[in-house]
Amino acid sequence: MRKPVLHFSAIIGLIAAALSIPVAAQGEPVRVAEFLAECPISHRLPDDPIVLPNLAGASHSHDFFGNHSTNARSTTPQSLEGQTGNCNPVADISSYWVPTLYRNNTAIAPTGVTFYYLGEGVNNPAAIQPTPYGLKIVAGNAKATGDHDSIARWSCLHAGHVNPSKNFVVCPAGTMLETYLDFPQCWDGRNLDSADHRSHMSYPVAGGCPSSHPVSVPKLRMVLRYPVNGSTAGLRLSSGTGQTMHGDFFNVWPRAEMERRVRNCINVVMKCDHAGNHG
Amino acid sequence: MVLLAGLLSACQQEPPPPPPVPNGYGATERAFVELAIATDEQALKLVELGGDPALIENRRTELTELRKLLDAPYVNHHAGHDMPGMPTDAEIALASTSPDALKQFVHAHLTESLEVLRSAGAAITHPPTADVVELMERHRTTELGAG
Repeated sequence: MRKPVLHFSAIIGLIAAALSIPVAAQGEPVRVAEFLAECPISHRLPDDPIVLPNLAGASHSHDFFGNHSTNARSTTPQSLEGQTGNCNPVADISSYWVPTLYRNNTAIAPTGVTFYYLGEGVNNPAAIQPTPYGLKIVAGNAKATGDHDSIARWSCLHAGHVNPSKNFVVCPAGTMLETYLDFPQCWDGRNLDSADHRSHMSYPVAGGCPSSHPVSVPKLRMVLRYPVNGSTAGLRLSSGTGQTMHGDFFNVWPRAEMERRVRNCINVVMKCDHAGNHG
Repeated sequence: MVLLAGLLSACQQEPPPPPPVPNGYGATERAFVELAIATDEQALKLVELGGDPALIENRRTELTELRKLLDAPYVNHHAGHDMPGMPTDAEIALASTSPDALKQFVHAHLTESLEVLRSAGAAITHPPTADVVELMERHRTTELGAG
């Protein structure tokens, strides 16, 4: 039930760290199909517009990134249009949310939040289509009961020797706890959501999208860094253990901005900057 | 395949929204019912520790009425989560050893779930579901008054 909540100003105070981005070995050309949006925490609410639509205050606590206006009633893209967000680039007014991380009863906001859109996972990035406007995607398993039914990945920034795990890991002093989550990237071509919020999307199989979900869209990879290291004692998500890490995405990228990035970065396998340009 | 994907994308990026069913059992109703069942099942374990017959009976009645509304096999989407009004297993375990904790958690269950019910009352338009929301609100208002 209810736990103390950090005041918004305290959340903002925690937002500081810049993100490091994977760098190719020196001298090798960067051939990565990628564009990105960095979106710090915007607000925290016990709402979930996908899983508990219109039911304000009925959810476990979520940290929301991007669009400032997202709440339980944000069930249509129109409800988020015309609003502002905090992503870099500002064009991305999509909404992203994850369960709140706590140490005992103190909420901890991530200080690095990056959403990578990638051309990996399928063999033919030239066929990747823009993510449909208004598409809702859920990744991870909020109901995970162990490693066997979890796709969570926890590791340590600047401490690659610590083996990744599906649950929280002990990060050395001076490093940060980080988590990765890959969203499904094959769309059924028809539905922007589904009753279980999952059936309209699928992960690729053997480098391609299955016939049931034939439309390949950019793979969304969420990377969160938390100002946490040392013991994992008392760490929990509002959904339970680290294995229950999950993420929700409601695509409200302006169509032209999404289409330009897919064309310029993903289809031609180029690493783009925040503006969707490459050198 | 490329062509197929392109055609699908071009034609179907904006599929028409499903026709709204006025006052039907929609996504909000379904989400509420599944949430309320998960909450009441945990709450029942908690109030059974205290032995108050009215609290126990009310939760059982609500569960019966909520299950009648289901249009598909029930799936608990919220097990193990820290949901408003839903006692966690750890809270139930603590309440089983501490009368003070039990009293506190029962009160938190009632006040927090009442907030969720008021939110649901404002959002739900399907009359049979709205009736159950109203019943649950009435129960909690009475229970808080009695406690």
